[in-house]
Amino acid sequence: MTDNLSNFTSLPEKQLVELDSLCGWSLSLLELQEAQRQFSKMGRQPTRGELETIAQTWSEHCKHKTFSGPVAFRDGGKTKKYKNLFKETIVKATRTLNRKWCLSVFTDNAGIVEFGKSGKWGLAFKAETHNHPCAVEPYGGAETGVGGVIRDILGVGLGAKPVLNTDSFCFGYLDGKKKLPKNSHSPERIMRSVVEGVRDYGNRIGIPTASGGLYFDDGYLLNPLVYVGCAGLIPVDKIEKKVVPGDLIVSIGGRTGRDGIHGATFSSANIDEETTASAVQIGHAVNEKKTLDVLMRARDLGLYNAVTDCGAGGFSSAIGELGSETGAHVKLENALLKDTRIEPWEIWVSESQERMILAVPKAKMKKLEAILKAESCEYCVMGAFPGDGRLLVAHGDESVVDLPMSFLHGGVPNFEKQATRRKVKISSAAPARPASYGQVLKEMLAHPNVCSRHSVITQYDHEVQGGTVIKPLQGKYGDGPGDATVIWPQAATLDQHDFSGFAVSHGFNPAAGKIAPYQMALHSVDEAVRNLLCVGAEISRTAILDNFCAASPRDPEVMGDLVLAAEGCHDAAVGYGAPFISGKDSFYNQAKDADGKEYPIPMSLLISATAPVEDIRKAITMNFKEAGNPVYLAGTSRRGMGGSVYNDMAASGNNFISPLDIKAAVKLYSAILKAIKSGCVAAAHDASQGGLAVTLSEMAFSGGFGAEIDLTWAAREKGLSPLELLFGESPARLVLEVLKDKETEFLKLIKGLPVCEVGYVKEEPSLCVLDGGERLFWEDINALKNCWKRELI
Amino acid sequence: MIIEIWTKEKYAKNEERGFIGRLAHAGLKVKTARLSRLYRVDADFSRAEFDKLASKLLTDSITEHYSLTPGKNGLKNAYRVEVWLKDSVTDVVGESVKGAIADVLGKEPKTVRFGHAYYVPCGSELKLKHAVSKILVNEVVNKFSIKKH
Repeated sequence: MTDNLSNFTSLPEKQLVELDSLCGWSLSLLELQEAQRQFSKMGRQPTRGELETIAQTWSEHCKHKTFSGPVAFRDGGKTKKYKNLFKETIVKATRTLNRKWCLSVFTDNAGIVEFGKSGKWGLAFKAETHNHPCAVEPYGGAETGVGGVIRDILGVGLGAKPVLNTDSFCFGYLDGKKKLPKNSHSPERIMRSVVEGVRDYGNRIGIPTASGGLYFDDGYLLNPLVYVGCAGLIPVDKIEKKVVPGDLIVSIGGRTGRDGIHGATFSSANIDEETTASAVQIGHAVNEKKTLDVLMRARDLGLYNAVTDCGAGGFSSAIGELGSETGAHVKLENALLKDTRIEPWEIWVSESQERMILAVPKAKMKKLEAILKAESCEYCVMGAFPGDGRLLVAHGDESVVDLPMSFLHGGVPNFEKQATRRKVKISSAAPARPASYGQVLKEMLAHPNVCSRHSVITQYDHEVQGGTVIKPLQGKYGDGPGDATVIWPQAATLDQHDFSGFAVSHGFNPAAGKIAPYQMALHSVDEAVRNLLCVGAEISRTAILDNFCAASPRDPEVMGDLVLAAEGCHDAAVGYGAPFISGKDSFYNQAKDADGKEYPIPMSLLISATAPVEDIRKAITMNFKEAGNPVYLAGTSRRGMGGSVYNDMAASGNNFISPLDIKAAVKLYSAILKAIKSGCVAAAHDASQGGLAVTLSEMAFSGGFGAEIDLTWAAREKGLSPLELLFGESPARLVLEVLKDKETEFLKLIKGLPVCEVGYVKEEPSLCVLDGGERLFWEDINALKNCWKRELI
Repeated sequence: MIIEIWTKEKYAKNEERGFIGRLAHAGLKVKTARLSRLYRVDADFSRAEFDKLASKLLTDSITEHYSLTPGKNGLKNAYRVEVWLKDSVTDVVGESVKGAIADVLGKEPKTVRFGHAYYVPCGSELKLKHAVSKILVNEVVNKFSIKKH
């Protein structure tokens, strides 16, 4: 390898590719040749450290080359060209909406929106994925995923205080019988370890983990998806940060070791049998807690000018990012090490966890040191930001990196990706009628994508900090499935007289994405907004995050799915008035099984949403509250079983995805929010996975009440079959329990909208559903609950 | 010195049942099994000091037992499976315990590593090894040994 490095600029293509593979850089030939060209221009050969720096700076993880690159999308005979897909869809929606309450979008480690009535606070929100590490070492991968996204919140502006963690996972079916390759873990093993990792990190650091989801599909058999998110509070006068020439580079928190070498470049590669643990980091929540405590104290005293986290790429990424304008002079021998058997370039790119980089004015270093010592937080001064725009990294007398920042951050070559619309045969034939709707409902409630998540949720501390107002498990017995979480962040604001809070929810539907990626994006945004509405959040102030996960972008159909989903995101965001404030993407989520069969994941888009709750004391939950209260169905039930859980259980012969009417949904939701704010609504629950029958069942058994339901007058599309009515998953529908003495006021508020009374809550513990004079099913709610309350792990 | 800690029999049913269920999922059916936590403390402490650490710091005396002799929590004719993180892997629990030991004794051990021991009575070491690989260890980060107890 040494020979190849000393002849780098003259290496032929084959040897370049071999060198890349040997070093684990995951650079394309085009990128390697660009590096060759640049070093030829400089008239010298690169060092290992320089090539490592280039590999991580130009990695998919850091530069998002696929989503931010040019794309040619072929759809039939037409081709649409994008120069930058991300900017022309996701960012464009945010720019179009131009909401004043968006304080920082797409420029920092997380998005920030206004929070509360005082005007003093911003809410930072970010979601990340940690898929590849979790496929190799699920416990460590999940732990460090949580640690990483928390550091994003600590590193936004001058640092936000984390108040909520979120987690959404996708795994292969736990009871699958598929033969797995030698280097893979069973889905059950992955799930157990991922949950333990999220639990141990979140619980130990003292941040509630209180919002998320679980999804099963064999597309995730070899590539689990682990989405982790974090929300935090930041004073609005601490959002701006700027490195000043002369500032010291100070690393605080964990020590640097050989763990996590090549994590950033790992994101640009398919996982195969050769994948090793070197790309896996190990988390240490207690160290991160010390870092958090130091940052919050030092921030409020104004002891640093800028901060960012050491994520993928380690010092190389963090110092490179902070010094992108000023340049940086780094002395690696000053780094605190876990292990002395480490090469200088490894110190530079190591992704050891729990490290933050601060830009500290020399005059304030003493005060900062006092806080670091008081919190038992280790630190080292790594050098300075000089202002000459050059990255100089040395270890003693050895030069490790000497490159202009402009080359690192502006030199990455990108090429046009080919995208094409996936051909899917759509059938909208009337679905066959099952023998028993009641039996289907019971099987549906036990389906892994519908059943109770209590065995996961109860492992997390969702009460720490004392602000989790609407909890993930709700209802009379504390075990009903909530739509959204409501947080009262008084632990951060220290203001117990301001009852402002915020809600967080998710929307996710990869099953729809297999058929219609555009509609999947619309449905996901709709589901996230509807979930916020169900707790009474101010949905006109919804802010959303996009997290795309996909298989290899070298496949034009995968790119086609991405284009359509991104266009859907744009249209949904504009339609709902909900700007994207941050997001992330993860590609190359595909692997081969023992027989060489490829397992690409389906296009997976997680929409995370947040909206303010003006008064957390008025937030509502999903369970039926009182016998005698009328039950209403809001929204029109439409044809189509595409993407439904029912189709996963029994092929209905219909895979049509009901299109979403955003305008109608916005109008409906605005009226329902008014009704909730007026105190007319006792409970609200969305109809999503499993459909209306599942929604009614969950509201009933979570409240310990039965219900008599007659859907005869429910708003519906012409020709809708009872199966589609009960188990179809057409969007923009929710079930409401209205307070009997407020029904007249409620009816005034929803006048002219597709909101129909469909029955009433009753004491007797049974759920009876009729339609057009026919009884569709009658079931004991305790029997339904028994089916639903499965132990997943 | 290895300090072994386990839940008293009357409180251990849940964790044992869960573990037996996981073994069954990996194709190994057994009726009983036991679990322990292990702390390998590398230090020049006296036996009395190790005993103090075990009894005062690491064990909940109401629900747990401890021993400074590995294997006391054993079942007859069982295999003992020891699982540790590889030495190159950061051991967060071990590091935390190291700090706590310094607080209790006023002196710091060289290293502390945290691991687990499982006691499984079964007829086939091969089957046990398969189950261990499938559910208990990830050989990317763990090392393990199986010995007849």
